[in-house]
Amino acid sequence: MRRSRRADAIDLSQIVLFTLAVAAAATVLILVPGVAVAWCLSRRGWRGRMLVETLVSLPLVLPPTAVGLGLLLLVGRSGPVGGWLYETFGIDIAFTWRGVVLASAVVAFPLLVRSARSAFEEVDPRLPAVARTLGRGPLGAFFAVELPLAWRGITAGAVLAFARALGEFGATILVAGNIPGQTQTLALALFQQVQVGRDREALELALLAVLLAAGSVIVSELLVRRREKTLAE
Amino acid sequence: MASFFEIDLKLHQGSFGLEVQARLGETAAVLGPSGAGKTTLLEAIAGLRRAEGRVVVGGEILQDSAAGVFLPPERRRLGYVPQDGALFPHLSVRSNLTFGQRRPSAAGDVDFATLVLALDLQELLERYPRHLSGGERRRVALGRALLARPRLLLLDEPTAGLDPLRARKALARIRRVRDEVNVPLLVVTHQPEEALALASDVLLLEAGGVRGSGPARQVLRAPSALARESGQHQENVISARVVRHHADGGTTEVRLDGGEAVTIPHTPDLTEGGEVLLSIDAEDLLLATARPVGLSARNAVAGSVDELIRVGTSVYASVGPWLVHLTPAAVDELGLLPGMPVWLVAKTHSWRVVAG
Repeated sequence: MRRSRRADAIDLSQIVLFTLAVAAAATVLILVPGVAVAWCLSRRGWRGRMLVETLVSLPLVLPPTAVGLGLLLLVGRSGPVGGWLYETFGIDIAFTWRGVVLASAVVAFPLLVRSARSAFEEVDPRLPAVARTLGRGPLGAFFAVELPLAWRGITAGAVLAFARALGEFGATILVAGNIPGQTQTLALALFQQVQVGRDREALELALLAVLLAAGSVIVSELLVRRREKTLAE
Repeated sequence: MASFFEIDLKLHQGSFGLEVQARLGETAAVLGPSGAGKTTLLEAIAGLRRAEGRVVVGGEILQDSAAGVFLPPERRRLGYVPQDGALFPHLSVRSNLTFGQRRPSAAGDVDFATLVLALDLQELLERYPRHLSGGERRRVALGRALLARPRLLLLDEPTAGLDPLRARKALARIRRVRDEVNVPLLVVTHQPEEALALASDVLLLEAGGVRGSGPARQVLRAPSALARESGQHQENVISARVVRHHADGGTTEVRLDGGEAVTIPHTPDLTEGGEVLLSIDAEDLLLATARPVGLSARNAVAGSVDELIRVGTSVYASVGPWLVHLTPAAVDELGLLPGMPVWLVAKTHSWRVVAG
């Protein structure tokens, strides 16, 4: 950070690695809860399903800055969760890398859930039922039948979530600020470079963003296509 | 008869209600039109659908709402075979088969190799379900259920969607496996001949309620059942052994369990000496009071009238295992009375192979 400020230049590799690490961490963080929520939403006939559905979709339709503000109120040092974490463990979330991961995770969550949910809905409900009659418990049937059959949809959703996390800006800047070397992701650095009039650096960053995003969308497309092919056979 | 299988279930789902009370033997069929609730009943018995009431199989209480007992599907040990098999698409045939496999614990329990041979699956083991035909899928599903050593096999419409040849092969195979593995079974079907081919007891289901239950022939030939099915064909299903084929004569000679020789249309794929299940429509049987001569019909079976069942403008004569459809005029003309010796006459081409 000191070096970059002195040189007044950006550390491209540090920014790219940090961005990838944050997006990966966010994706890993939401994988298990996302799949669990998606599975629950794919079942019909329980109370509160609409409510959960709405809550899960909110980050997708709200302005990311509103999501960020909400998170900041929650995990800032004076917020209920942030205050408790700081007092008990001495852990700060707001304005640290943890805040970046959290903001990206929350915003990416609905993408994973939607994709995983439709993957679960595509699984013939008789298959887990038959697995049960063959001696597997509900969890056994889930891991032996539903999860493998929904796997491609879940993977595609995870890649989409990862791509969304890569480009996260609005929520991140509110929760974690834009601290070079600490919370600055590619999207945040690009914004900063534009603001200080470094168009060339900004353009470089934008091109990098294109590469990363295109790469993950292509991976996601390939996975979805493979899944459709399997289903069509 | 001690009942092997006891159900007393109530289930309501939206406007559809199902209420079933029955005691059935080791092989039973649930017979009824589509929409009667047959599959729903199977799912309730398997524990896949919550219904109120009792289910007892072979002395084991699987469910008893009054006592607060409800075994989950995985502890009921019922071999459920859904209509199209419902194989796991991501697993090979081999992995499908072994999915619920329990080790044979007693002599007579099936092992993998025996079952693969009995169901003719050797060539399919490494294939995936999407590359199997409908009939093959069902065979795998049957094997998968049997390897879990179920206390009762639940078959849902085992021949639906199969062409007649495959359907009779499938029924013959199920009969063979049933006897080899010695597993009790409950089959759901809308075809009376399929019920008769696989089961000795029948539960008639209609619009979510029981219309009759008990020994198959008795239930299917009750006057009320005949009246309800009026206009529908009453099939006589009877077991026989193949004697020999007469390709030139266009016939296959079989011997009925009663010992009578009968010719059926030439069916070369039946093995000589093998068991075959035949059916003939009650409409297609002629009844004579003397041994017929000079007829083209090649099959005459002697018997005596047990009962004359009048249903509307029809009369059904019950002659041993046979049911013959007559008009009241014919009954009067022949002076038919219970106890009278008669001959049943059938054309070769009136016989159909149900299983074999």
